[in-house]
Amino acid sequence: MKRLFAIALTTVIAVPAMAAKAVTVKGSDTMVIMNARLAEGFMSKNPGATIQVTGGGSGVGIAALINGTTDIAASSRPIRASEVDKLKQRFATTGFTFAIARDGLSVYLNERNPVRELTMQQLFDIYTGKFTNWKQVGGNDATIILYSRENSSGTYIYFRDNVLRGKDFSPRAQTLQGTAAVVNAVANDPNGIGYGGAAYAKGIRFAGVKKDEKSPAYTPSLETVRSGQYPISRYLYLYSRTRPSGHMKKFIDWSLGPEGQQIVTKVGYFPVK
Amino acid sequence: MKLKFVCLMALLVCVPIGAQEQQTQEPAKIAKADIDAAAVAAADAADDQEQPAEPTPEELAGKIESLTEAFTEARNVLDALSRLRVTGYIQAQFVRDERSVNETTSNTATRNLDQFSIRRGRVKFTYTAAPTARFVIQPDITTSGVVLKDGYVELTEPWTTWRNTMTVGQMNWPFGFEIMYSSSSREMPERTLMYRTLFPGERDRGAMLSGVGFGDHLNYRIGFYNGTGTSQSFDFNKRKDLVGRFGGSWGPLDGGVSIYRGAELVSLTGQVSGREFVKRREGIDVQWVTPVPGLGLRGEYLRGKQPPAPGAPVATAAATDVEGWYFYVIQNLGTRHQFVVRVDQYDPNSDAASNAASWYTRTTGGSYIFHWDANSKVMIAYEQPKRQQQDPDDNVWTVRYQYVF
Repeated sequence: MKRLFAIALTTVIAVPAMAAKAVTVKGSDTMVIMNARLAEGFMSKNPGATIQVTGGGSGVGIAALINGTTDIAASSRPIRASEVDKLKQRFATTGFTFAIARDGLSVYLNERNPVRELTMQQLFDIYTGKFTNWKQVGGNDATIILYSRENSSGTYIYFRDNVLRGKDFSPRAQTLQGTAAVVNAVANDPNGIGYGGAAYAKGIRFAGVKKDEKSPAYTPSLETVRSGQYPISRYLYLYSRTRPSGHMKKFIDWSLGPEGQQIVTKVGYFPVK
Repeated sequence: MKLKFVCLMALLVCVPIGAQEQQTQEPAKIAKADIDAAAVAAADAADDQEQPAEPTPEELAGKIESLTEAFTEARNVLDALSRLRVTGYIQAQFVRDERSVNETTSNTATRNLDQFSIRRGRVKFTYTAAPTARFVIQPDITTSGVVLKDGYVELTEPWTTWRNTMTVGQMNWPFGFEIMYSSSSREMPERTLMYRTLFPGERDRGAMLSGVGFGDHLNYRIGFYNGTGTSQSFDFNKRKDLVGRFGGSWGPLDGGVSIYRGAELVSLTGQVSGREFVKRREGIDVQWVTPVPGLGLRGEYLRGKQPPAPGAPVATAAATDVEGWYFYVIQNLGTRHQFVVRVDQYDPNSDAASNAASWYTRTTGGSYIFHWDANSKVMIAYEQPKRQQQDPDDNVWTVRYQYVF
């Protein structure tokens, strides 16, 4: 009877684990195109592997990692201490972190907007609502229309923590789902301003960003992001619950290798190596 | 006068009916006009005089403007709603307790304990007005009734990296690990006996300051509380109790030290106005994520002085030295299976063991948890409490289903 019980228990636990299953990647909308390209590239080289990529936001991806519904969380912000605590409590792990790419968080302006450069302080004043007219930063006499991201987005959190220094966005900021929506909105609005990953920046112009009044303005590029001259840059991460093995390990290794990093560059981000 | 009123009424009733008839006749006319136009159009395709006119750019701009206005209004409502977060969980369970008896005369607490029940039914409303201000209210709705578990406001200062937060209202006592660890996450059905005895209800009313700093490696929580818990709504003594925990996190290792300094006014037989007794606890807790995949260990030790129970004889009433500890071993297998062993001990009078009332109780238990999906899990747990010198029939089986949303 005891032996029967042991066999049954082993079967219940081991059989689902042994079955070949897809590796799931969930999280950052900023990273979703890059991750999809990486998955396509990896699967073309490894026909037996299946990598499923979905978005939803960095917070959603990390929550899925914590509740066990994804193998890999994609996040455009570092995992928080409170999230690591949840991983420790639920799975007795501190998780594993892989910086997969670097991103210069771009500030988008409409092509017709005469403003070319903004300081970090001006961005702070614009997005916290202190400045409401473009003439306050040397532009036309027109109301500044703010476009932002939903609060589950890692891009939103990064911008709030690093540009707004933790302060809340102006209530006038319009929340849009995904960076592509922000880009489209700014492209159609001469008085709009938005922020997001470089990969989505088509049809609009990047504002040069200055650390302060005296420093030169930089737009995000491989050199300015790598050298740290561009003031709003960040890493893009993949997080796993357990030490990667099997297809998951192969996928991460491949993404960090020359082929993967080439794809990273191709979609508009900057390689980590 | 009557005639005038009747005429007026007749007019009021008949005129709208007449208008309705006219309205109902209109579509027929329009339909006929449409058919005629279609016939003309079919006869002479080049003649497009009857085609509806294209909207002008001004008309389109007006429509877009009105849609934008409606969208903006809807978005404002949505923004306000998105600040409110509703979460919660429900725990439905069956308990098989060896102490259960079939009788109607004894106190309900000692009668039949074998039953189905809703152990916890929590709904937590969190309204984040701004990143620096939060409002939380959490009722517990169960088969025993509805009680308020949490109700507090939080204000976080935006000037330092410590994110110092003032919390005021009804909340968990900031002592040790097990109190702060949510019942929805806990791997055994109930908290250990020492916490159930020394911190009944785990909550109190007060004001707490908390913060996290040094790269999230250090944290603190300290506050003043009534010291009564939530079971009584009135604090009899003027003195407020100081409760706090200072913790650290170093990769896989977390821990903290806790203190409680307070007093309790206890009514005694022979002195109903009450006498104040010292209430004191010190504790240390450690949580370790071991290098063995999926294996976590937790332990906690506390000691202190506990006031006597109300009604004790005035001549002999004294605070007693109490002591307790627990140890958890948690092994995860994959994402769905958890195996847990817990041993805990509580000694209500660590200086004496002369009578049964001062014997310690050691409980050995274990559980298996199956995580069905991200929201639901099933727990099967067994606990065997033993007194210092005897093992009464009080072992408990619990089967619990939990759904979190």
